[in-house]
Amino acid sequence: MSPLIACPQCRAWLLEDVFNRPDPVPCPSCQTPLQIEVFPALFQKAKTGHEAEAVMVDGEASCFFHPQKKAVLPCAGCGRFLCALCDCEFGGSHFCPSCLEAGKTKGKIKALDTRRIRHDNIALGVSILQLFIFFVPFISFLTAPATVFLAIFFWRSPRSLVRRSPIRFILAMVLALLQLAGWAAFFIAIFTHRSHP
Amino acid sequence: MNEPAYQRLAQSAFSSLWLGPDHLLLVNSTFCEESYKRFYFRDIHAITLRKSSLRTIWNAVLSLPLGICLIGMAVCAFPSRGIPFDPTAPIVWSIIFGLFLLPFGVNNFMGTGCACYLRTAVQNTSLPALRRMPKARKVFDKIRPHIVAVQGQLTAAEVSAHLREAAVSEAAASQAQPPKSPEPPVLS
Repeated sequence: MSPLIACPQCRAWLLEDVFNRPDPVPCPSCQTPLQIEVFPALFQKAKTGHEAEAVMVDGEASCFFHPQKKAVLPCAGCGRFLCALCDCEFGGSHFCPSCLEAGKTKGKIKALDTRRIRHDNIALGVSILQLFIFFVPFISFLTAPATVFLAIFFWRSPRSLVRRSPIRFILAMVLALLQLAGWAAFFIAIFTHRSHP
Repeated sequence: MNEPAYQRLAQSAFSSLWLGPDHLLLVNSTFCEESYKRFYFRDIHAITLRKSSLRTIWNAVLSLPLGICLIGMAVCAFPSRGIPFDPTAPIVWSIIFGLFLLPFGVNNFMGTGCACYLRTAVQNTSLPALRRMPKARKVFDKIRPHIVAVQGQLTAAEVSAHLREAAVSEAAASQAQPPKSPEPPVLS
């Protein structure tokens, strides 16, 4: 990406003194007030990858993936020796590409998580579904057990990265149990009414 | 690896911005799913705030029902001949007026609208959680020390000088491109 910065409004290149000012400054082209803070990383050249060295001496440790290349360190995940080419540094640790891929797909490396399913929201949504589908009577007869199932089954599943409280699960469970209690009371009332007319 | 602790910086309906130990976390959420984007402090190139007309648009939208309510109240206060005075009508109009006045006041209290963009080496991402200038500047002041601690700081003059250099080198690179191959002859 070019180090030049364009005005987000008119797309004109900004070369005048609009950067790192304490207050918004109008764009020289479209006069839209802009406040732009630029950091040194913008002008740093992209680093090129390391080149792996060939094994020169017989018996020297070599890369697991490239036997002809010299090993420089072990993988933090599987312990295999890696050459400079296979070394993927992430969060201060060094991984081989397969461990990094496995860490992402299996969710072992939390910093690689890019999406999570909100099972607690789903459980809460199912528990209050009857309120929204009020024109379909008795739907809570199905949704209440479903909520209890969801809350128990996904209780230990990874929650949101930022909202980790189990309050939604608890709330969903309480609502579902209240609905089930209501249904139990309803059926008991029917059966007692039939047996003692 | 343990999950890092995050501090909330800003939140909107479907998006929120969180401060992590060494990065910013942008969370875009739907009801069932959350997606995350991490911006490490060492990778952030620039943050841009642009003034937008969000507040003006909301003011225009809300002033229409407010105006109708004011007209309604005026009609009730000065009833014309033939129409009996109904004492409940001004109360109803006042309640409706209050319902629209509250978001109108909140809209103006929250300040000027803005759009915020965060640029890294590979993307220029909009931050939808930052829609108001005062809030955006507050967040900006909060994250700036973290980025400066990792990368250092540039003065306005240094940035301008760097950008001029970049513009000159880009112009030179575009001039140095090889000429196009001649067009094939037209067969008659």
